[in-house]
Amino acid sequence: MRALVLVMSLACVIHPREAASQSLTAEAAVTGGYSTDDLAAVAAQLRAFGETKGAWRFFGELSWAGRSRDDVESDAFGAAYPYGKRLDVIEAYGERLLRPGGAIVDVRGGRFRPPFGISSGSDHAYWGFLRPPAIRYAEFLVVSNTFLEHGVSVLAGVPKLTVEAAVGAPADVGDHGRRGGADALVRVQGYAGRFIAGISYMRTSPIETAAIAPGRATFTGIDARWMSGGVQLRGEWVDGQPFDGATSTGWYADVIVHRTHMGPVTAIARFERLDREGLNEAAGEYLSRETLGARVRVSEGLSLTVNVLHQSGDPRYRPNALDVAVTWSVRSR
Amino acid sequence: MKANAPLIGALILAVSSAMQCIAAPARAALRARVQQQSEADLHGTARVRDRAVPDAVVWLDAPNAPAARAGGPRAVLDQRNLAFVPHVVIVRVGSTVDFPNNDRVFHNVFSYRDGKRFDLGTYPVGTERQVVFDQPGLSRIFCNIHPGMAAYVMTVDTPYFAHADENGAFTIREAPGGSYTYHAWRPGAAELSGTWASDWGPLSLVWK
Repeated sequence: MRALVLVMSLACVIHPREAASQSLTAEAAVTGGYSTDDLAAVAAQLRAFGETKGAWRFFGELSWAGRSRDDVESDAFGAAYPYGKRLDVIEAYGERLLRPGGAIVDVRGGRFRPPFGISSGSDHAYWGFLRPPAIRYAEFLVVSNTFLEHGVSVLAGVPKLTVEAAVGAPADVGDHGRRGGADALVRVQGYAGRFIAGISYMRTSPIETAAIAPGRATFTGIDARWMSGGVQLRGEWVDGQPFDGATSTGWYADVIVHRTHMGPVTAIARFERLDREGLNEAAGEYLSRETLGARVRVSEGLSLTVNVLHQSGDPRYRPNALDVAVTWSVRSR
Repeated sequence: MKANAPLIGALILAVSSAMQCIAAPARAALRARVQQQSEADLHGTARVRDRAVPDAVVWLDAPNAPAARAGGPRAVLDQRNLAFVPHVVIVRVGSTVDFPNNDRVFHNVFSYRDGKRFDLGTYPVGTERQVVFDQPGLSRIFCNIHPGMAAYVMTVDTPYFAHADENGAFTIREAPGGSYTYHAWRPGAAELSGTWASDWGPLSLVWK
């Protein structure tokens, strides 16, 4: 079914006259990792993207990932992809970007990550963090990195200020997907100098069944980035209800240091907290975590990532962990 | 006879002026012909064995070439469809390269190895950053978020350079006639160099 969605999405945007692609890039990334949470993991992503002669852009991504154990409570290696030992279509969309008079108009249709906050898979998978922020992990019933939409999104504005609206239906991957129904999202993003900020609002179906999670899920988020001299500060704050009668509020702040004299090394740190009310008591009422790490670009296609972290609040999680991963990526044009 | 002297003088002057008027276009045409011979477009092809190389760059050493004009032509290294376009750029020392982001996702352009070192930070769709490449050499350009994105900026200290097209053909514009040391480079291969005289015909570059 998901493969069918991929094919249909691409077929929708590639008109027969334009079937001859102006550009096509194929990319593969393979990751192997180990965590002191007693987990090993392996993952592979395949991507194809490019642009037709009619200036339609297309993007498709397949992912397979598995972990050595399913009986361990850990979000290691779940930064952007599910580890369900299944082949999943992650994104599959067509897109048209127009620049009338310097303005931006972009229409996207198909299957895509909901544009809530810092939402790009690359933003979470390749900066050097091996775990998702707690406010981005589906098991915590927040706005997960494994949420996907079947729908349409429209972005309009000027580079300094854009508004994006998306409507669709949940089509998540992983073990904690939202139930069906229509949902909607709006996001406003602006920048001034080196400071970029956005506000997002999402109304969607809850994760879990209606018997467990009645009503609707609504989330509001604020995200910001600032960067200068190779030092980036970024973060998100999210507040909302995962279903009627429950609340989730959390934030994370990342420091990413990649000064030119550091060569291939990117140093990272993350501070985060998630507070929950009205949810599963076994998970505790909060999770607090600090992560330090680095990503080293060993060669053009090979990178090594190391994270050490300390966490508290959720009794199911070990207080300390070390995660190591190697990613190899290759691209053909 | 004395009475006719001014008339004769005026006649000589008129004939002289007429001859100058006739001779001026002829001299200009001759100068243009000389210029055409001394500043010609130099052609060539780049191949790996029998296969054309579209991303090869070639340049000629020219230590006595005129200095670059301030605010000269700018090059563009676009970020589009999760790729840098074009894959290889060649510019003269002192040139500015624009790095626009034409993707909806953020990019973080940086160079840390050889050549110009910089980190432009993350910036959104519709915005761009600039870098002045002020030293000769090869700069390897990456995106810190998208590991597959890579491009090259070759900065050369000469106005006589070219980038091969999709058929491997290149043209170095308006190079004075003479003998040169040429250099050629393409991604993943060693630099070629040798001697080439403009009257030897097209330059054929072949990587084994």
